[in-house]
Amino acid sequence: MADAETRSEARLFSLARSVITGWALLGGVVTLAVVVVQTASVVTGIFGAPVPGDFELTELGIAVAVFAFLPYCQLTDANVTADIFTSGLGKRTQSALVLLSSVIALVFAILMAWRTWLGAENQFDYDYQTAILQIRIGYAFIAIVISLILLTVAAIITIVESYQGVVTRSQNVITDGP
Amino acid sequence: MDHSLFLGVVGLVALVVLIGIRVPIAYAMIVVGAVGTVALNGPNVFLNQLKTLGFSQFSKYDLSVIPMFVLMGYIATRAGLSQDLFRAANAWFGRLRGGVAMAAIAACAGFGAVCGSSLATATTMGQVALPELRRYRYKGSLATGTLAAGGLLGILIPPSVVLVVYAIIVEANIVSMFAAALIPGFIAVAIFIVVIAVFVRIYPDTAPLSGSVERGEWLAATLGVVPVLGIFVIVIGGIYAGFYNPTPASAVGVALVAIYGSLRRGVRLADYKWALLETAKTTGMIYLILLGAELLKIFMSRGGVPQAAAEMMVTSGLSPMLILILMLVALIFLGCLMDSMSMILLVMPFFWPVISELDFGMDPNDVKIWFGVLALVVVELGLITPPVGMNVFVINSLAKDVPMWDTFKGVFPFFIGELVRLALLIGFPALTLWLPHMVSG
Amino acid sequence: QEFKLKLHHFLGPKSPAQTQMLEPWAKTVEEKSGGKVKIEIYPSMSLGGGPPELISQVRDGVVDLVWTVNGYTPGLFPRTEVFELPFIHTNDIKATNLAMRAMFDEYLADEYKGVKVMFLHVHGGQAIHMAKSEVRKPEDLAGKKMRIPTRTGAWVIEALGAAPAAMPVPDTPQALSKGVVDGALIPWEIIPALNLQEQTDYQIEGVDMTRFGNTTFQVSMNADVWESLPDDVKKAFEDASNEEWVKKVGEIWRNIDDNGIKVATDAGNKHIQLTQEETDAFRAKLEPVVDRWVKEVAAKNIDGEALVAKARELISANASK
Ligand code: NA
Ligand code: NA
Repeated sequence: MADAETRSEARLFSLARSVITGWALLGGVVTLAVVVVQTASVVTGIFGAPVPGDFELTELGIAVAVFAFLPYCQLTDANVTADIFTSGLGKRTQSALVLLSSVIALVFAILMAWRTWLGAENQFDYDYQTAILQIRIGYAFIAIVISLILLTVAAIITIVESYQGVVTRSQNVITDGP
Repeated sequence: MDHSLFLGVVGLVALVVLIGIRVPIAYAMIVVGAVGTVALNGPNVFLNQLKTLGFSQFSKYDLSVIPMFVLMGYIATRAGLSQDLFRAANAWFGRLRGGVAMAAIAACAGFGAVCGSSLATATTMGQVALPELRRYRYKGSLATGTLAAGGLLGILIPPSVVLVVYAIIVEANIVSMFAAALIPGFIAVAIFIVVIAVFVRIYPDTAPLSGSVERGEWLAATLGVVPVLGIFVIVIGGIYAGFYNPTPASAVGVALVAIYGSLRRGVRLADYKWALLETAKTTGMIYLILLGAELLKIFMSRGGVPQAAAEMMVTSGLSPMLILILMLVALIFLGCLMDSMSMILLVMPFFWPVISELDFGMDPNDVKIWFGVLALVVVELGLITPPVGMNVFVINSLAKDVPMWDTFKGVFPFFIGELVRLALLIGFPALTLWLPHMVSG
Repeated sequence: QEFKLKLHHFLGPKSPAQTQMLEPWAKTVEEKSGGKVKIEIYPSMSLGGGPPELISQVRDGVVDLVWTVNGYTPGLFPRTEVFELPFIHTNDIKATNLAMRAMFDEYLADEYKGVKVMFLHVHGGQAIHMAKSEVRKPEDLAGKKMRIPTRTGAWVIEALGAAPAAMPVPDTPQALSKGVVDGALIPWEIIPALNLQEQTDYQIEGVDMTRFGNTTFQVSMNADVWESLPDDVKKAFEDASNEEWVKKVGEIWRNIDDNGIKVATDAGNKHIQLTQEETDAFRAKLEPVVDRWVKEVAAKNIDGEALVAKARELISANASK
């Protein structure tokens, strides 16, 4: 029974991982799209006509892309830490510290997702747009909210994993050995 | 103590404690900024600001060069530009004693000219040059020390992500900052090569002679570096010449490296996937710190901390130069604990208001540029100082047989070289300021 | 009881906007309230975010007061945008400020939800700065790349046959000096801050200082904060922001603008004031911009023509008051 639960949990996590990785790649593709717009603007600019709205497309594109990167950063533990005081501690204590960080990330992700969602509502209610192409900025906010929901998922995954690291340390001693 | 200063100190202590227990630096800044703002002005102010703060920070146009220069560096890695650079540098320096190490430094400089990050430079060049250094039986400490120091050139030579971040915080012109760092960057290359020459003269057994290069190989290797030089001239040369500003330049850089890599160097879809995911990690990490720095700034501004700190320094009676040197020393110590990006983000909001109020007998804009380059030099030292020296860690992970401590020893002569360079840059501001004046001329 | 209010804006602490307009206004409010109000000014976006966030910040109560540019958030103030159009504001800042004030309750108030507007104003108005080429007729701008101030500014540039280029304000001097853009459509007041006299040779405006469009600004308070103030304090704010004050704001920006063009001419730049005929040629090209705007706001059920007519009527009625 417990075994089956663990297995379905593992399947769920691996699905979530793929989604988060795919989402980050999608952010990468948006970055590449910005590269194309900017490069095209340089080339057409030589002949007197920069791509209209290149400026605002860059701002929107990069913002959307970087938010899409955040869940992947959480999942791969890419956020910089200073390990100076903690590198000597036992595995279990280290897992506990990772657990603390992951809880902070979770609280941050939930707060941000909630508030950015309200921000998106404001964007549509007041009809915020970009200057030249008159794109609704609210659409960018929706993409960002999805990224923040995935960040919440990523934080939950790292919480569960570090929690397992805290409680199952004693069993792992044997398997960790040479 | 003044109420505002007390607040600032409490915030700083909380920050250090959180960072000390391995909370990611970005989240430590976010927590302190959030809790501080709520404590000062209530939860609604903070929660309402969150509605748009993320978008507003991440959509800043000037920041968009960061993902693009980072991506350019990763594609360049897969396109084998690092191999080309090292091969050419080795053709030129190879037959001198210590020549392979000198070649590694020169190749690092070349890679730094198309890559905005120290870690990426150290990793990439480490993978290319370390096997060669070991093949010629260079001693472990010299080999790894050279590469850890060479990695610094990734940031010291523009483009440089840290410089972009500094320029954004103090509202300096990015082009001027890039121009300012160029000559000091070349000085670093020269000093590093001199350091190697002196070191191998004193300890000849650390670097055996490697024999000369055939004429054919010499020519092929030299020609092989033309594409890298071409990309550098178009991207960075284009910025200095004012053909475009850094954002389009970085986009053109990505496009050029990708085109060259795909057509000539067999860069495939899998390589792009790797480059994009690495870019996601690096960029996400930097932007999250930037968001944390913004929250911290909001808390400090609401508490009146920057004004109080500036006031205290300005009325302290210390000479401006002494205050500046004290700040640089503080940065060197902080560099033992933190990475360069976090440091710039963390301390510049405190240091810059003070520096901007001091009279160095220079144009305020020049002070902004000069101080930025000095700060860049010292925060980069943090990457090679114990106990936390990211470049040393990275290189060591590539050379598992060399003890960490040997690498720190190997990098020490370069550290001394950097202090010499710092003294030169403090003593002769013209080294930094001449080129930006020419460029904006 | 004391009311401490935070005023947030995007320019530096030594900018003329802060020292000559915001600080005197804050001081007047403080005095008129008998010391009950204290306004703390936070320049340079020091309370976080970018300039486009200022309006959300004041609406959401992140700060109590803001000074901001309406055009930073295109789409939010479509009615007030009428004052940005070319040949609506012509050359008289005071008259335009008074017209905005007179039209506020009936025509404009709808779009300022969540905030209590203290006062609206414009500055000197858009003029043409050229790096190397003289401009005397619209054709002289054909194919030129021009830095734009607002979305209506982009329309002006397009109508004149030039290409609009958006870029951060601090990048403008460099872009001018290296030919990334050939010119810019901005008022004189920005010349000293960006050292534009060094990057440009020509400054062009219409006859009698006629400009080619303008930018609208607001100083606004969070609506809940406003409601929470006692009547005598409200009155202090109202008195400090009365007709006399918006006229004074007109004088202040006229001076700032005059100082800007003086810096350019002192540096040897050519300051061109077009003749009536030449100005009319620009007017003929730019009238379609007004039509374009009328059509665009019609989609939001706004009677653009009525706004244009009323704005023109009131600006002319308030001329040289
Ligand atoms: Na670099
Ligand atoms: Na260090």
